[in-house]
Amino acid sequence: MAQVTRPKDIRIVTIIALILVLLAFPMLFTPSIKRMGDFIPMTLGIIITMQFVSLIGIWHMKQWGVQLFIIMFCIRVITFMFLDLYEFRFFFNIFYSITFIVFFLIHYRKMDTNL
Amino acid sequence: MVLTLLKESIVFALGALVANKLRTFLSLLGITIGIFAIITVFTIVDSLERNIRGSVQSLGDNVVFVMKWPWTFGPDYPWWKYMNRPVPEYSELAEVQRKAKSIDAIGFRIGTRKVLKHNNNTIENALVSGWSYGYGQVKSFEIVDGRYFREDEAEGGYNVVMLGHTLAEGLFPNNEYPIGKTIKVAGRNCKVIGLFKKEGESMLGNSMDNQAVVPYNFARLFMDVKSENSDPFIAAKAKPGVTNAQLKDELTGIMRSIRGLKPLADDDFALNETNLLSKNFDGLFDIVGIAGAIIGGFSILVGGFGIANIMFVSVRERTNIIGIQKSLGAKNYFILAQFLFEAVFLSLMGGIIGLLLIYGLTLAAGGVIDMEITLTRSNIILGLTISVLIGIISGFIPAYGASQLDPVEAIRTN
Repeated sequence: MAQVTRPKDIRIVTIIALILVLLAFPMLFTPSIKRMGDFIPMTLGIIITMQFVSLIGIWHMKQWGVQLFIIMFCIRVITFMFLDLYEFRFFFNIFYSITFIVFFLIHYRKMDTNL
Repeated sequence: MVLTLLKESIVFALGALVANKLRTFLSLLGITIGIFAIITVFTIVDSLERNIRGSVQSLGDNVVFVMKWPWTFGPDYPWWKYMNRPVPEYSELAEVQRKAKSIDAIGFRIGTRKVLKHNNNTIENALVSGWSYGYGQVKSFEIVDGRYFREDEAEGGYNVVMLGHTLAEGLFPNNEYPIGKTIKVAGRNCKVIGLFKKEGESMLGNSMDNQAVVPYNFARLFMDVKSENSDPFIAAKAKPGVTNAQLKDELTGIMRSIRGLKPLADDDFALNETNLLSKNFDGLFDIVGIAGAIIGGFSILVGGFGIANIMFVSVRERTNIIGIQKSLGAKNYFILAQFLFEAVFLSLMGGIIGLLLIYGLTLAAGGVIDMEITLTRSNIILGLTISVLIGIISGFIPAYGASQLDPVEAIRTN
């Protein structure tokens, strides 16, 4: 199976997205998130981890990476809405995630369909 | 089929971990330290918060305190204005009680440090509080033995006393029964009529364990009721359905009329609420929590890098085995699951050890400090979740790399 070449813009966008995802990780431990309930940090942690996994897939030019990223974006938005987290980070997250998704979808057809 | 493959991959992963015991131990140490750091901070912060909330709760949520000094301190705190204020007086209590419509219970309290004595047992600097009868209905407390003083005892200034757990233990060692015995409070004979339930250490310093409570009319015989050092205050509890704001409005009007303040004159008293204390502590705990989260978060990430490093080494060492597995028909997800499970298992083990260390620490701390420090369910869930997620994050890249190896190239690798 031929290796798909990674375009430069995907490389840059994925690195930025990976940094943002990793920086979001300590957010799980903030008192405001902890106070929401025992299982809220776990839920948000799973979303962040799955976003990280999806970005690894995108880095390897896999279509499942983009699909997983979009699914996790939707789940994250729904979770934030469910938790009434209408803060700056919520809107910032929507803004940058949509930007990334646009970039990923531009190159979606070039990506590998296998695992 | 998938389950069988996953089971096989788990067996492979466990085999690899057991084969390299020292490496396994060293790589999980990073996560152990990370989880230990972050969950210890949360455990201590949660315990302190619980203790303070408990102390505040015992003062009453719907209680307003009429005092000389306010509890809130800001940068523009005009302390010089408060210096010449009079302290609340017992005579004002009856007036407030008579005029107020929204009060469910009201009481007066003074307190100072005095010597308690029983036979050869002496306690110096014990906190002796003088309560009006009504204060017992404002403050929440439990009596484990004996009783609260009667209204006639309170009004008549009978020499009766209720003791906190620590004071009772100090005055009556060797399991002596204190009820009915006579002790000396500030040199005056006093009959013990009740024992308060043990409360433990309080961050606000208002634990009943170190207090001896006598009727106000008895306390005023040996306490200077007009002195600020006696910390006198009136505590008013709102009726059900009456908000603290409504109660404060009413008390402001009554206190101003009692003290004959002109319309434009400033209040010469402060109305304090327990939620002011809670709010101050909320901010403090949030800062400590955020600092702990940042420090712990990054130490866990560093632990994750350690696991990722070990996983890369592990993949490199077993490249030809991966090649053989793939050439024999192993699917990509089988290889992925094998290495991912290894990383998650390592991380989870590190997390569990970290949590066990904290549990041991809480048990040890329980014997040293008289405050309940507990590893809560939410912190255990958080610790385990973080461990698993860090395992996935740090193990996914090497595991995915291993799953993508070309079998022919992999078999050739030495």
